[in-house]
Amino acid sequence: MLNYLNVTKKYGKRTIVDDFSLSIKSDIFGFLGQNGAGKTTIMKMTVGLLSQSSGEITIDGIPSSSKKSKEKIGFMPETPYFYERFTGMEFMKFCGELFGRKGRVFNSFALDLLKKVDLEKAKDFKIKTYSKGMRQRLGFAQALVNDPQYIFLDEPLDGLDPIGRREMKDVILGLKKEGKKIFFNTHILYDVEEICDELGIVHNGRLLYSGSVKNLCNGKPLEDRFIEVVHNKEIEKK
Amino acid sequence: MSNIFIIAKNTFNVEVRDKIIYAVFGFAILYFFLMEFMSQLVLGELPMVKSFALLGVYFFNVIVALFLGTTSFYKDIERKIVYFILSKPVSRSQFIIGKFLGLCAVILFSSVVMGIDYMFLIYVVSHTIDFLGLLAIAMQFLEMSLFIAFAMFVTTFSSSILSIVFTSAVFFIGHVVSSLLSAASSMGIGGFKLILIKLMYYILPNLEKFDIRNIAIHPVQLPFLNFFFAFCYALFYIALLLFSAILIFKKKEL
Repeated sequence: MLNYLNVTKKYGKRTIVDDFSLSIKSDIFGFLGQNGAGKTTIMKMTVGLLSQSSGEITIDGIPSSSKKSKEKIGFMPETPYFYERFTGMEFMKFCGELFGRKGRVFNSFALDLLKKVDLEKAKDFKIKTYSKGMRQRLGFAQALVNDPQYIFLDEPLDGLDPIGRREMKDVILGLKKEGKKIFFNTHILYDVEEICDELGIVHNGRLLYSGSVKNLCNGKPLEDRFIEVVHNKEIEKK
Repeated sequence: MSNIFIIAKNTFNVEVRDKIIYAVFGFAILYFFLMEFMSQLVLGELPMVKSFALLGVYFFNVIVALFLGTTSFYKDIERKIVYFILSKPVSRSQFIIGKFLGLCAVILFSSVVMGIDYMFLIYVVSHTIDFLGLLAIAMQFLEMSLFIAFAMFVTTFSSSILSIVFTSAVFFIGHVVSSLLSAASSMGIGGFKLILIKLMYYILPNLEKFDIRNIAIHPVQLPFLNFFFAFCYALFYIALLLFSAILIFKKKEL
């Protein structure tokens, strides 16, 4: 279980994440919010790239930034950059080695992952020749090299064409069937509606709603409900 | 420990593919051809050939070290490649040490390539093997390692451009500061100027300790104790720089 307890992140006097508390048990959880809402900061704190100013983030009761937790998580950053002169397969091998995974068995596992994201044919191409969508898919594949239990994806469907989006969503749903827990950030409501079991609405670093998509929508379109929740908060603030 | 070596190996693999490194190697080989040509012009002036050849090795290694030290680590942070690495079970200290060792491996590779060029040149000119020249190149490698550690340290809190400026300045001062101190005492300079020179002398790396080109060219009795001290000095200074870099990098918001 992923647990946030009174998590706050400040840059000087600016509060980016404000007293954020949440427990997530669902298989696919979507963080929804406008640009600059604090979603990426929350995710970066979760995977140990940023430290929180106060509060606690735990995965199965262990601090998420600990080595033990990192063994069981996979992370795909937003608009990933790579070593341009590496091939896709070389990059996968490098990522695998950081988990102590190498050799023939791992190579065939890495190849399967590249197949999964439709990069098998491009596995030996230099990354500098990859399109934005291919980079996105490689970023996704490298997040799976350690066969993680918890997968964090920051805007995973950004830059993909409609077919690529469909394929990626299918991969995410396939991972759910394998019993993985997936958390992703997005500002695209349709994606959340389609694949998430639960969602959290983040606005100005605060959690405004968390729960099932069905409960939030209650027959209304998600877009209307999202705007309503954010607007109500703005009015309350004034 | 193994993650340090994986990052070092990866850094080496990334950097040796850089076109700029190829260009420097290309120029170095061209330079040695020119040296071979020059050796025919100066007929038997072996010290002169050695002097120019060792200077060439040094010059090209400085370019490689300055380029690697100021860009490699910076690019990983700026292009957010560290996100992939640090979200895996890799600590920030492992990343910095691995990166440093990888960059040193590139300099070692470059030193070996140019060392072979140098030995070949000297053999062609004098039919002898110049072991002292090799020792001079080994000392240059130590200096370049220190240089890289300094550049990485500066990069943890500044931009790549600033790092180039700082590192180049330290490179220059590091070579003149001991002469400056002796000149200041012989000229009777005191007060604030002397304090400033002494501060630079004690704080900044004294790179003259690694310059044994003159000994290699005009063999005198080898000051082995000096080599040993220079080696310890480099190790101590590198450890101090990397330790400081790790402290700063641990607090850096990525």
